[in-house]
Amino acid sequence: MYQYTDFDEAFVRTRVAQFRGQVERRIDGSLTEDEFKPLRLMNGLYLQLHAYMLRVAIPYGTINPGQMRQLAMIAERWDRGYGHFTTRQNIQFNWPKLKDVPDILDALADVQMHAIQTSGNTIRNVTADHFAGAAADEIEDPRPYAELLRQWSTDHPEFQFLPRKFKIAVTGSPNDRAVTKSHDIGLRMVRNAAGTPGFEVIVGGGLGRTPMIGKVVRDFLPVEDLLPYCEAIVSVWNLLGRRDNKYKARIKITVHEHGIEEISRLVEERFATLKAAFGGADQALLANIRAAFAPPVFAERPTDGFEAARLANPAFAAWADVNLAPHKAPGHAIVTISLKKHGATPGDATADQMRAMADLAERYGYGELRISHEQNVILPHVHKADLPEVYARLRAADLATANVGLVSDIIACPGMDYCALATARSIPIAQEIAERFEALKIEHEVGPLKIKISGCINACGHHHVGHIGILGLDRAGVENYQVTLGGDHTEDAVVGEKTGPGFSADEITGAIERIVFAYLDLREGPEETFLQAYRRVGMQPFKAALYEKDRADAA
Amino acid sequence: MSRQFTPKVVTANALLEGDAVWLTEDDRWTRDIAEAELIEDEAHAQIRLIDAQSRKAEVVGAYLADAKAGTAGPEPVHFREAFRTRGPSNYAHGKQEHASRP
Amino acid sequence: MPLDTLPAVRAAALNGRYRHHGATAVLEHALRDPDVGRTALVSSFGAESVVLLHLVSIIDRTTPVLFIDTEMLFAETLVYQQEVAERLHLQDVRVIRADPARKAAIDPDDTLHLRDTDACCDLRKTVPLQTALEDFDSWITGRKRYQGGKRSDLDFFEAEGDLRIKVNPLVHWTTQDLQDYIAENRLPRHPLVAQGYPSIGCAPCTSRVADGEDARAGRWRGTEKDECGIHFVNGKLVRGPLPAAVEMAATDTAPETARDETNGAPAAPETTETVMNVIVTDDGFGPDDWTGGFAAPAEATTQEVGIDLPPDTAPDALETVLDAPLVRIDFPSFSDGRGFTLARLLRLRGYRGRLRAKGHLIADQYAMARRAGFDEVEIDGELAARQPEDQWRARADWQAHDYQSRLRARIPA
Repeated sequence: MYQYTDFDEAFVRTRVAQFRGQVERRIDGSLTEDEFKPLRLMNGLYLQLHAYMLRVAIPYGTINPGQMRQLAMIAERWDRGYGHFTTRQNIQFNWPKLKDVPDILDALADVQMHAIQTSGNTIRNVTADHFAGAAADEIEDPRPYAELLRQWSTDHPEFQFLPRKFKIAVTGSPNDRAVTKSHDIGLRMVRNAAGTPGFEVIVGGGLGRTPMIGKVVRDFLPVEDLLPYCEAIVSVWNLLGRRDNKYKARIKITVHEHGIEEISRLVEERFATLKAAFGGADQALLANIRAAFAPPVFAERPTDGFEAARLANPAFAAWADVNLAPHKAPGHAIVTISLKKHGATPGDATADQMRAMADLAERYGYGELRISHEQNVILPHVHKADLPEVYARLRAADLATANVGLVSDIIACPGMDYCALATARSIPIAQEIAERFEALKIEHEVGPLKIKISGCINACGHHHVGHIGILGLDRAGVENYQVTLGGDHTEDAVVGEKTGPGFSADEITGAIERIVFAYLDLREGPEETFLQAYRRVGMQPFKAALYEKDRADAA
Repeated sequence: MSRQFTPKVVTANALLEGDAVWLTEDDRWTRDIAEAELIEDEAHAQIRLIDAQSRKAEVVGAYLADAKAGTAGPEPVHFREAFRTRGPSNYAHGKQEHASRP
Repeated sequence: MPLDTLPAVRAAALNGRYRHHGATAVLEHALRDPDVGRTALVSSFGAESVVLLHLVSIIDRTTPVLFIDTEMLFAETLVYQQEVAERLHLQDVRVIRADPARKAAIDPDDTLHLRDTDACCDLRKTVPLQTALEDFDSWITGRKRYQGGKRSDLDFFEAEGDLRIKVNPLVHWTTQDLQDYIAENRLPRHPLVAQGYPSIGCAPCTSRVADGEDARAGRWRGTEKDECGIHFVNGKLVRGPLPAAVEMAATDTAPETARDETNGAPAAPETTETVMNVIVTDDGFGPDDWTGGFAAPAEATTQEVGIDLPPDTAPDALETVLDAPLVRIDFPSFSDGRGFTLARLLRLRGYRGRLRAKGHLIADQYAMARRAGFDEVEIDGELAARQPEDQWRARADWQAHDYQSRLRARIPA
């Protein structure tokens, strides 16, 4: 993976020193809270319900064992012994003290990490397919482009005070695992007629208060035009985007108000101006970055041990069935480590667990780890022969939950247990649903089903694109949960449809159970997934089951 | 038919620690809402809020939160404010960790 | 003219005397002219009140300022009131509130506004003000002609029945004049303005104003009410516009001429240099050495004048200023980053002249400004005091650690 150059190193160190000064100046009064706030946000520091929260960037979700161990150290030294992996491939520490934050940032810089631009009205951490570099269906590893975008967007002088936040996602596969259609800019790798890889550029997607599926602004962008083209989009929006109303400031609204044709015209015009400003250094840099992401030399060994263990150990087989994905190299698999143990907090890992995962990556995974937007950790390259041992060690670390892609693999934002913006809790709902289905022992029977929970309209939990989405609201001082069905986060992105009136915290788990039982009744067979069944039969039968109270008692 | 003024407490987050604090009658910031000043008069509430907002070196984001009189002192009304007095529901890492009262 | 002459007669005489004057002159004389008598400024400390307060503070900061606290104001207004009074060194701010006994009798649970907004205004605003004004022969208001349909015939001086004279120095100002004045003088803005409340009164009766709506539309939204009842006719309260007879007696001058005499702009520039602005460059703080003046692009009559660009300048309009010796781009707030893109586009289109960022930029943005193409930053004295030179010079190293210059270098093919 990419190693910092001297330039990156000096940049991050300088930035920490600046933030140390800014913290001191806030405390001595030369910066007001109003002025300090955007500066601390640019360095990932929020003030939440119970404490400050530091959001550390894990650019495009790629992290090495040394970095993971440093996160464990930070969790123990300055926090409460754990960290929370987020839907934007970041990690959040929930309990830092203001004065400690510069020291934490220094500790991050020691392992080539930072918290820059993980918040604020700027270009945020660039996210990518969490199977990048390993997936069998990949055209090209998207991470070199993501790293190029990271360097370009970092400290970009024009784009630190944008109308609102700006998020870019990139995928190297036609099968979109990076939710590109819900980002301000989505980059999906495709081939043109000549077979040359390039990007389909999608603009104006977003979740939140006004969910919108992004629109294609350019069918095929040659990869060498990536920076000037993205710069043109952000530059046009920086002048055109609304600053009078923060709910209308995101580019999705700008695109909606001006139309994709007009935006496309303005972007192409600006692109013509900006392209001239790039003199080739970016392409030279890209070549270096590409070299840094060269895949490891994959070992060629027999996989007999894997097959034998599958037959001998049903628990291992169940885990292998759902937690493994096809790898491009023969004899290898992609391992998803579930951070969704039934009843645990989605996305949380203790310091010990972080170290256990780092050890596994070092010993069996070519030294690579990824964080997924679904709040799990990935070992992207594991030889199948090593899987029984990997599984045994995961079990020892309480990390062997076999539920990836199933009902209990729930995305949940921190919600009102931590977040100052939340209107209801998310975590206890996720915990209760997972425990309910664990007790029923039916989640493997139910098959692929994505539940996503947000604790407020801002939709950090991606509820709009969950097969079942849950949105927590405050209705007259009581938590209330609204359900949507049929959302899809992939290249066929769809925003889910509301079922009707919401449910109280006590009722919501039963409501989800009724939906799942309705699916089991309605499906044509085990091979028809929830989403397929929903698309076939529509909302009505689910709605009938959902609001028919007697059914829950009978079930 | 008449609208009663809902009693308030002044609350904020501590600048250095970041945790929830409440303003007492004698102008201290307390970490226990029961020690806070329960304000029953709207005009007085505004004045106390202004006092609190001027203490920029101690707290961030002061605001008035609805409260009611309890046996030991003011108690929160809204569930959000109740969480602020305790901490998150998934771990005992907030104020509940050091809770002195049951 | 003795003070016991009828106010209507005195107002007519005063309007004749000051018909050719601008706001500052009217105010200055109002505070000294014996025909005006003892005078007070009545201020809501609302969105635009700071203009009049500033004008008064410059002429005579001992002028009594009456602040009506309805006890239903936004907390932000109360904070702002203190801040403005301190900043302008106003020495005689008198907070006017309803008599507690009367309030207890009429509105014990603060719900009157829900039933009868007029009665509420009466209790909390009109009566307390009337009582407070008993000590004065005249009072100064911030009312403007444009402010609502019902005020379009206002004049500088109005008789208020036979009680006293009302002085309206800002009668010919427009919203833009006020905004310019606030910006020129770096006056603190009411915090709620940024949130969409251009006209600020009591919290329960004020809502936000949508784009393009009349600025006062947010007040008393959803009711017929349009004017606060602070008017007296023959010693009796009236609401809404003054009756025609009184209006005529008070108005014997063509209102348009007064504005012409102010050269189309508020007569205030002489007061703008009370706090010197500072120019920040890589060498630190310095005075402004630019003597060529500034004009909007459309009003630049010579090649030598500096051009002022607002943040909403369209990219195509940049073509017209490429030959200017100095371009100054306004930053209305440090969180509004449009100026950075405008600067960059200007440079990309070949502008080689002096480029200045002006307004609310903070020291931590100095490097961004320089990298975007600015040569210098103009800040006000208050900000310079709070963020002294060393904090700005700390970012004079803006050329170091810059990803952009690294990415954009020209590599020979």
